[in-house]
Amino acid sequence: MSAQKITIEFNDKVVRQFLLATLIWGVVGMLVGVLVASQLNFWQANFNTEWLSFGRLRPLHTNAVIFAFVGNMMFAGIYYSTQRLVKARLASDFLSALHFWGWQAIIVAAAITLPLGLTRGKEYAELIWPINIAVALIWVVFGVNFFWTLARRREPSLYVAIWFYIATIITVAMLYIVNHLSLPTSFTHSYPIFGGVQDALVQWWYGHNAVAFFLTTPILGIMYYFIPKAAERPVYSYRLSVVHFWSLVFLYIWAGPHHLLNTSLPDWLQTLGMTFSLMLWAPSWGGMLNGLLTLRGAWHKLRTEPVLKFMAAAVTFYGMATFEGPLLSIKAVNALGHYTDWIIGHVHAGALGWNGFMAAGMIYWLLPRLWNKPLYSVGLANVHFWLGTVGILLYVAAMWVSGITQGLMLNATTDNGTVLAYPNFLDTLNSIRPLMLMRVFGGGLYLVGFLVLAYNMWMTLRGASPVNGSIEVFADEEEHAPAEGRLGLLGTVFNPPVLFSVLACGFACVWMFGRDAISIVGLAGTIICTVAAVAHFESRGRAWSDWYERLLLNAAPFSILTFIAVAVGGLIQIIPTVVVQKAANIEDRLQVKYTPLELAGRDIYVREGCYTCHSQMIRTLVPDVLRYGAYSRLGESIFDHPYQWGSKRNGPDLARVGGKYPNVWHLRHMEDPRALSQGSNMPSYAAMLRRDLDVSVLPTKISVQRTIGVPYPAWTAEEIKRNVAEQSAQIAADLKAAGAIVAPEKEIIAMIAYLQVLGKSEPVNKPGTPAQ
Amino acid sequence: MKSPLPDDKFRPHTYDGIQEYDKRLPNWWLYTLYATIVFWVGYWSYYEWFRIGATGSETVTTEIARIEASRLSAAKLDDASLWQMSRNPEFVEAGRTTYVANCGACHLASLRGKAESPAAIGPDLTDTSWVHGGKPTEVYDLITKGVLTKGMPAWGPVLGAKKITEVTAYILSKHKEGEPIVIEKPTPPPVP
Repeated sequence: MSAQKITIEFNDKVVRQFLLATLIWGVVGMLVGVLVASQLNFWQANFNTEWLSFGRLRPLHTNAVIFAFVGNMMFAGIYYSTQRLVKARLASDFLSALHFWGWQAIIVAAAITLPLGLTRGKEYAELIWPINIAVALIWVVFGVNFFWTLARRREPSLYVAIWFYIATIITVAMLYIVNHLSLPTSFTHSYPIFGGVQDALVQWWYGHNAVAFFLTTPILGIMYYFIPKAAERPVYSYRLSVVHFWSLVFLYIWAGPHHLLNTSLPDWLQTLGMTFSLMLWAPSWGGMLNGLLTLRGAWHKLRTEPVLKFMAAAVTFYGMATFEGPLLSIKAVNALGHYTDWIIGHVHAGALGWNGFMAAGMIYWLLPRLWNKPLYSVGLANVHFWLGTVGILLYVAAMWVSGITQGLMLNATTDNGTVLAYPNFLDTLNSIRPLMLMRVFGGGLYLVGFLVLAYNMWMTLRGASPVNGSIEVFADEEEHAPAEGRLGLLGTVFNPPVLFSVLACGFACVWMFGRDAISIVGLAGTIICTVAAVAHFESRGRAWSDWYERLLLNAAPFSILTFIAVAVGGLIQIIPTVVVQKAANIEDRLQVKYTPLELAGRDIYVREGCYTCHSQMIRTLVPDVLRYGAYSRLGESIFDHPYQWGSKRNGPDLARVGGKYPNVWHLRHMEDPRALSQGSNMPSYAAMLRRDLDVSVLPTKISVQRTIGVPYPAWTAEEIKRNVAEQSAQIAADLKAAGAIVAPEKEIIAMIAYLQVLGKSEPVNKPGTPAQ
Repeated sequence: MKSPLPDDKFRPHTYDGIQEYDKRLPNWWLYTLYATIVFWVGYWSYYEWFRIGATGSETVTTEIARIEASRLSAAKLDDASLWQMSRNPEFVEAGRTTYVANCGACHLASLRGKAESPAAIGPDLTDTSWVHGGKPTEVYDLITKGVLTKGMPAWGPVLGAKKITEVTAYILSKHKEGEPIVIEKPTPPPVP
């Protein structure tokens, strides 16, 4: 046996690049955040520029923070730790560079297109289809680079951080591709192939699990590497890692419908969303426990070591946010908190506390190691820590108070519960303005903290020279799993843990979805399986742990099992809703199809990001019905591609705004909202009065709508044009009669046409047959 | 790494210097997980399996009906408000109870009176022909004052305005607003 040693140099260049990008995009994302937060108090902060209006910048803020800031941070952390955990240099320098530059190009493209109003109109999935394809391709580059590196590993067994990275790569790919399926109408525009409730369900399966698998699992992996390193303490519990990893990745997927509680989403999905969110509480806290308890014996280091200070605080915020999440998923709590600032507070506890502080801790750890120079100032890092902590607390506290205040005001009634106490939405908005201002201040402090980090980084990097890590290995060291540890397909599937899990889940599904005797068989089967599994584990637990040790030597079987675990929930929830005929998903009302002009108006509504402030979903809750009218039926949005149910009400719901006001009201209101609604914070959309509607794109758009299932007749381009001209002329004439002269070609005419059709439906007797 | 605390055993493997303990799962943590699983079984059974709990749309429909009812109670009585009440399940159900107890004897539980059984005393209340006027307010007045000559008692003093309103709503619930109203010639008194 030759004992010749060779030195492997890690590819730390790409880590440094991602680290710098993290900082730059972090500052940009937070700056846009502070700007849009200010706009909610001072609408003038959009400088009356379309590009800077709230509806266009809010998606830029969310996308920048999630995909640019946390994305780059995640890639830096994954590439740095993976190389060391598997004792191998990244497989391909070319793929690493392609990954870095491709991702930055995507971010730049996003930063240009979103302010221009080029959007798909779905949250965190706004980017237009050519960019979607680029994201998917670069993600594949990332995946290939990562798994190729695993294949060349010299460390046969996979550490827990790697499990989380595998789950991230597989699941994000699955979610991203399905939620971005769309049919283009031009190079910059497309319609999602799902509509109405299907689109809502797919969107929140994606949206919720973007939080799970983009903002949580990779960061947990990073936590599992950097906390034990920085604390110089062993990880608290391996078996807790095993249990919380598998329960987390399996359960998370099911919880998406908690974003749609009390809406017209079918009840069984709401029930799944709520109960699985509650079951997620313990698995989430498993991660927090392993993070915090790893610090046992190292708590004193928190006083002196900024890295640990940031990470301990981050894990604490993670615990707070993952307790608040299940709480908000309880239907009754959600009835109060949904659509309000409480949700905004919740996500920022996660984004600023968990993601932002983990990023900061990681940066402070990596700077001296990647540039071979001590941190410029520990004192400044402490300043950053306190600015950030106070900033988060102010932000989150303001949003709690604001959300609960507004929720209570919106729900308050008088006269024996028959009349709304605050019938004017603006009363509730204006009562939380001081709190919204406090949020700007808290967020501003956090941003200042980050600028302190940037300065500290700059001063550290000045005159420093980059250095790449390296290790010594034996030249003939095994690059693959040792032969005796190999798991074939049979070994992957036929073993107690997998078989018991599959059987128990299968029986549980039979119980839930079977009828009568079948469901009883399912319940009995579930109980028997669980009891048998416990009994088997108690007597033959060795077989379970031995098998798992072997699984850790096998990256491909591990990845396959992970994929199965994350795929189940989505399959069970989405397939019935997508396969079921649209006609069966309408309850007792079917929306009236949009005329070409109304469709054009709808596309303007999507372009301007109106959904960032206005929902189109009257929930099955008394205060919603008293305020906005009869609760929304599934059929009333079934032709909507994309759905526009919304997730936040900075303004009132618009599901039934059609016919509520005359045309001229909408004209004046869009031109200058405050002329009609005293105290409104809505931007002015006067540009719509000046710009001509682009009618030439409508024939293609309508033909695409036909392809994705909206029953439009086979109109010719000429017919569409005539139809638009007629309806525009009618609206213009009506406006003229009311004393407002607007040319019928203007965009505002289409917008009014759309707003006036919202809530128009025809009654349906039986599913699928429109009533006479 | 520092030496472990005495009771702690390391896992044999080390990753880039990182060691792992294999501590037991905290009991409170496990019981939290089990409790949420049990809750899921119970909640699903209650709402989806046995369907004991009302769905969101059922709850809101009942609640809104109750609110409508209490709004209508406060409203001025006219044809329009009586028609509205006749479409409100709370009113109709309350009216049905009163009707069965007090009116069913003559007009039968089916409201079809003579049309169903020639032996019945009262006329059919579900068809479009009316003896004393079929407008909602006329029906209301008739129940209140009665037509003593024809055997219809005055229910006003007995039932009170609220119950009579409800009975009117119940009767109207068998009719549609805008349907024809045919005034029947009073049948000539039987020849002695």
